[in-house]
Amino acid sequence: MIRLSAPRRAALQRLVLPVLVLLSVTMIVVGKLDQVVFEPLRISFTDAAAPTLDALSRPIAAAGNLIDHARGVINLYQENGRLEEENRRLLHWQQAALTLASENAQLRSLLRLVPEAAISYVTARVIANSGGVYARNLMVNAGSGAGVERGQAAITGDGLVGRVVEVGTRAARILLVTDLNSRVPVIVERSRQRAILSGDNSERPLLEYLDPASAVRVGDRIITSGEGGVFPPDLPVGVVSRVNGEAPRVEPYVGLSRVEYLRIVDYGLASGLPKPVAGAPRSMRRATPVTTAGMKHH
Amino acid sequence: MTSRIADVPVVPQVDSPVSRLLPVATTAAAAILSIQPVHISAYAALAPAFMLMAVYHWAIYRPDLLPASAVFLIGIGHDLLAGGSLGVTAVVLLLARAVVVRYRRWFPDRAFPFVWGGFTLLTASGMLVLWVLHSLLGAGTVEFRSSIFRAVLTISLFPFASFLLGRTQRALMGAR
Repeated sequence: MIRLSAPRRAALQRLVLPVLVLLSVTMIVVGKLDQVVFEPLRISFTDAAAPTLDALSRPIAAAGNLIDHARGVINLYQENGRLEEENRRLLHWQQAALTLASENAQLRSLLRLVPEAAISYVTARVIANSGGVYARNLMVNAGSGAGVERGQAAITGDGLVGRVVEVGTRAARILLVTDLNSRVPVIVERSRQRAILSGDNSERPLLEYLDPASAVRVGDRIITSGEGGVFPPDLPVGVVSRVNGEAPRVEPYVGLSRVEYLRIVDYGLASGLPKPVAGAPRSMRRATPVTTAGMKHH
Repeated sequence: MTSRIADVPVVPQVDSPVSRLLPVATTAAAAILSIQPVHISAYAALAPAFMLMAVYHWAIYRPDLLPASAVFLIGIGHDLLAGGSLGVTAVVLLLARAVVVRYRRWFPDRAFPFVWGGFTLLTASGMLVLWVLHSLLGAGTVEFRSSIFRAVLTISLFPFASFLLGRTQRALMGAR
């Protein structure tokens, strides 16, 4: 180490804080101006930390499961009744589904429809989340090594979780539908109206760009429309929970704070997320190219 | 409950090399804790500001062992892993550390409620600074309510954090 005199060292010490604060503010500004400049750093750091986070999150997940078990035991009797009722309903639906499936197969062969491409998926575990009010995303322990690519949709058995925005070798980041930057082209199942599900970092994202004349009702099912080739169509997203206010709000089917395992699905969509262009303004690099989608399908 | 400044040896000759790492290690652990997925519905991803608790504690009792450079690196590391704007956490934590170090001398021989009160002030201002920063960065549509909830959660959990940190401090540094 360089030998400095005491007063010089003291002066240097006093400089440390302002320099670091300035450096942090610079990083904030640079990050705002150019979205992608820190991405390689973020990806390599995430890849390096992924195994540790994976290992650390397991005991906490186990503890959470224990609490759920305890709650389950306490509510055993009611839970049993509820499950029996649900089981009866689901058996009805199973019958309906089987009938529809065979009818579907017959109609397809009648029309000589080209069979859909096989869907491949990767199951991944959530190892970290953004933990904050200002960003809603999850980190999962599957990366390009497992076949995960940017733009792929993430789902659970209940519905859509989000989409992949960053991919490392060992880990990937999923942007949730509730995140401020999330835009999902959707359709109201009942009325077939198109809309965009926009996250705003709250628990219930907004349904925007609806035809103002139309009436959306509480309880309407929202599914993906497949517009723009960004998300595959007909994925369940949520139900309308509120219609007054600036825009209707949707309650997602997936309990986003409780997701432990999810599936990243490769539907073989060629377009997916375009690579962000360095230097372009933030509004142009949304998850969904809204304007071009509108133009493409007219 | 917490060790008082008068009892902590000023000349750190008692510290072993391992215990000298304790402040940085606990603050880094707090960073990792705040991005842990906790699968309880009520949690809703509003993690308490664990890092703020750690920085506050160490800035009062052993600021020499939690230098600004360590706080900066931990803040950057947290931002990289949590996916937020790089630098935001670093700024808030650096400012928090600076403010606490400056007013350090008000804390010796004070009862815990005073320390807790100081932390409440720090959390309130910290959440406000965060909200202002994010509003400037274009996320101003976020309701203030979530920040208030997070602040209340953080303040409520501070006694536990302080107790834990104080215990580990005494055990490893032989302060008492």
